[in-house]
Amino acid sequence: METAELKLQVKKQIIEFLNLISVKPEDIKDDEPLFGEGLGLDSIDSIELIVLLGREYGIDIKDPKEGRKVLTDINTMVAYIEQHRTK
Amino acid sequence: MLYIHKTFSISVQQNLLQANIELINEPVNKKLQAIEPAYEKIPPGILRRMGKSIRMGVGAALPLMSETDPVNGIIMGSANAGMEECVKFLNQIVQYEEGQLTPGNFVQSTGNVIAGQLGLITRNKGYNVTHVHAGLAFENAVLDAIMQLNTNPSNSYLLGGVDEISSFHYNIEALAGTYKKEEVSNKVLYEAGSPGYLVGEGAAMFVVSAEANNFIAKLTAIATIHSTDIELVQAQLKMFLQKNLEAGTAIDLFLSGENGDNRTLPFYTACETLLADDTAIVRYKHMTGDFPTASALGLWYACEFLQQQVPQHMFKKKTSKTSYRNILLYNNFKGLQHSFILVSKAW
Repeated sequence: METAELKLQVKKQIIEFLNLISVKPEDIKDDEPLFGEGLGLDSIDSIELIVLLGREYGIDIKDPKEGRKVLTDINTMVAYIEQHRTK
Repeated sequence: MLYIHKTFSISVQQNLLQANIELINEPVNKKLQAIEPAYEKIPPGILRRMGKSIRMGVGAALPLMSETDPVNGIIMGSANAGMEECVKFLNQIVQYEEGQLTPGNFVQSTGNVIAGQLGLITRNKGYNVTHVHAGLAFENAVLDAIMQLNTNPSNSYLLGGVDEISSFHYNIEALAGTYKKEEVSNKVLYEAGSPGYLVGEGAAMFVVSAEANNFIAKLTAIATIHSTDIELVQAQLKMFLQKNLEAGTAIDLFLSGENGDNRTLPFYTACETLLADDTAIVRYKHMTGDFPTASALGLWYACEFLQQQVPQHMFKKKTSKTSYRNILLYNNFKGLQHSFILVSKAW
């Protein structure tokens, strides 16, 4: 899968997993922070996203520090998925 | 006794936007589903995690909870609360073999989630209790509020009843024969003459206190009983009226919880035989559908009828009166759980 295609898929999955009713994939910029500013996600959302990575891509993140880096924005998430996905 | 100062509801009939009780929205797929507003008072980040019962409960309560006049506690009745989310979470446990579980469904899945969310959103650290006794959940919340006010007469409380149609609960109850098997319009619900009722959902909220200032209605008495014996229920109602109706006063409106189910109709007709000739009989469940805490919406309608005229389509029996001072609510859930509530007008 091309990176651009994967980014779109991840954005759609974030919207579905986090029930972001009023957000469209094109509203999420690739380099926009997912937490705090930008999309404005919180700590519960971070757990939801770690579960998303596990279920959809077979990625198991156990270290919270690593999780924080991976979930910085769409670019970091997709780069990590491309390197570590098992499915 | 308690005084009702403010009311709010969300139901099938768009009561939130305007108390338009002339309107009758009809069922879709045999369900009377609540029409939800935009919920402008719920922060968007919190709203997206809420299931329907939580949205309805919190959405109906927040307009009553002002920062300048906070309540001292939150008392809720909900038979099923976050059942939909609970089942989603349980299904995840099975599907993912207890491994990858998301917290969103879990935090919404408990019985006390509506009162809990309200406490968190409004930073209310007072008494926070949810009653879950099926068809008497709301009535037990009312009894709790009365006891709290007896102990703390200067306090005020948010009192409410909420339930949603969850797919899991609907399927189980449909298999058990609780609902009507045939398609029935709620405009002819009481003529159906068949077993089962139309399922509904909604939320009704009240700010109550023991202070007789600026109140809409006075809830003077409440009683509950578990029984399948029609004569026993009728005798209990007779005793309830003898004990609680002030001398020289009469019930001028009987707000019946009749729901079109021919299995529970005999309870209502038995209770109607105790009424005087000049007591009007009014029904509301063609508007709301039936569900365990539908009586909370019944109380909301009673408060409305103390202030405005009753629409023609709600009358079972009309009298010459056009305004009402004493309203008796009788509700019956599944022919087993019964409640009597006496409500009077401010004067």
